[in-house]
Amino acid sequence: MVTRREEEEVNRLENQVENGGGGVWEYLCLVHKLKLRRSDMVLKHGLSILNDKKKRSALGPEEWTLYEQVAVAAMDCQSNDAAKDCIKVLQRKFPGSKRVGRLEAMLLEARGLWSEAENAYSSLLEENPFDQVVHKRRVAMAKAQGNTSAAIDWLNKYLDLFMADHEAWRELAEIYVSLQMYKQAVFCYEELILSQPTVPLHHLAYADVLYTLGGLENLQTAKKYYASTIDSGGKSTRALFGICLCTSAIGQLTKGRNKEDKDSLELQSLSAMALEKDYKQRAPSKVSVLSSTLRSLKI
Amino acid sequence: MDGESNYEIHQNAYIKLILHALKHKTSSVNGVLLGRNSVNGDNVEIVESVPLFHSQIGLLPPLEISLIMIEEYYADKGLSIVGYFHANERFDDFEVGNVAKNIADHIYKYFPQAALLLMDNKKLEALLKEGKDRSPVMQLYTKELSRSWKLAGADASGPLKIKEPSANIVLLDFISSGKWKDIIDFDDHLDDISKDWLNPELFK
Repeated sequence: MVTRREEEEVNRLENQVENGGGGVWEYLCLVHKLKLRRSDMVLKHGLSILNDKKKRSALGPEEWTLYEQVAVAAMDCQSNDAAKDCIKVLQRKFPGSKRVGRLEAMLLEARGLWSEAENAYSSLLEENPFDQVVHKRRVAMAKAQGNTSAAIDWLNKYLDLFMADHEAWRELAEIYVSLQMYKQAVFCYEELILSQPTVPLHHLAYADVLYTLGGLENLQTAKKYYASTIDSGGKSTRALFGICLCTSAIGQLTKGRNKEDKDSLELQSLSAMALEKDYKQRAPSKVSVLSSTLRSLKI
Repeated sequence: MDGESNYEIHQNAYIKLILHALKHKTSSVNGVLLGRNSVNGDNVEIVESVPLFHSQIGLLPPLEISLIMIEEYYADKGLSIVGYFHANERFDDFEVGNVAKNIADHIYKYFPQAALLLMDNKKLEALLKEGKDRSPVMQLYTKELSRSWKLAGADASGPLKIKEPSANIVLLDFISSGKWKDIIDFDDHLDDISKDWLNPELFK
């Protein structure tokens, strides 16, 4: 996760770099460290260092990581020739390297030579079955071709090997959601909550999927998880709205029978109050819209 | 209704949707169209648009909240929800996916002339290169005359037109000046409510 302060720092540096104020290397390092995707900037300013012999050699051994970073950015920008140049330099410096081999395979992928890239990745995996980046490239490649079911297969294979990769579970859940396979997404989020019980983001996502599935039992569970999102991470607009939606939907399903207990009614009015207070402070122009929204949910 | 309806989209509504898709190039994005029927009922005027989401489009809770809020806000201004905009995750994906269909179906229930607009990346790419085309870089799907969403003519003579003839020129100007970075959608609003999904600063 990138914090707000880090993001501001990157944006400040980017601005400075764009206006010729220096700090290019610092900027590139920060983008690399935070794993941000600002490929157009990395390509433009990375090349400005690499094309300048003096600046380039001043980097020392970091020069090679920059070649790698720029190569990946270039492929992302469809500047395959620039990527090829960078990879050539690396091939000369590190003949037979697996890490460079990975870039070569990625270049095949960037050029849309899917089966060649597939073969290259497969042979890389034969030599090192635990290369996470290559596994993930295969998933990404299936996605790029619009072959979602293959992407799901590769991700499941990957998760058999790397069960603790939370990002991958999340990715799988999001693919399932995009295909409206909500039950499968529920399973992924349950897995995530089991392994990281205190991360509010998983609770929220789990509740959102349960609400989408609908049905009395799912709605009731969703409401509990919205509440635990707020409990473990402070206020969250999404979770507060979630509680209001659940209460409203449960009310419609039960039509007032099955009287909700007092705690649950209190939870609902507290959520509405928290939202109103927050909007008054930070979005005063939307207070009246919020009030009518809550009214239409019969709160 | 016997004939096909015509659709006219206002420049600002149009530009907002495209900029939103450009801001989140690597994911599917969507938006909602606000407008009204013309007096004789044959034409739909799309006056405004609100960018909705750029992540997890298939989830209901954020969608329901956003649609209620947007409807409440525009009801006073005599505008209601008349359609849906969708941009696919992949550049060359020209299919209307199930999520898009389901959301559009929901709007259709309340407004049978509902428009489903799909971002046309190829056309946008051509526009960025040549800059001549005056027709919208979107495809129009309707469900008026058939049971499923059908493409309703994508060329300049089709039923979808931009109100201002210079809209694409303004759009190109907005793109080259990096204005897409400033677009705020409902996702942004739910993460930080001080961010306004009306984008009041965009056209100042």
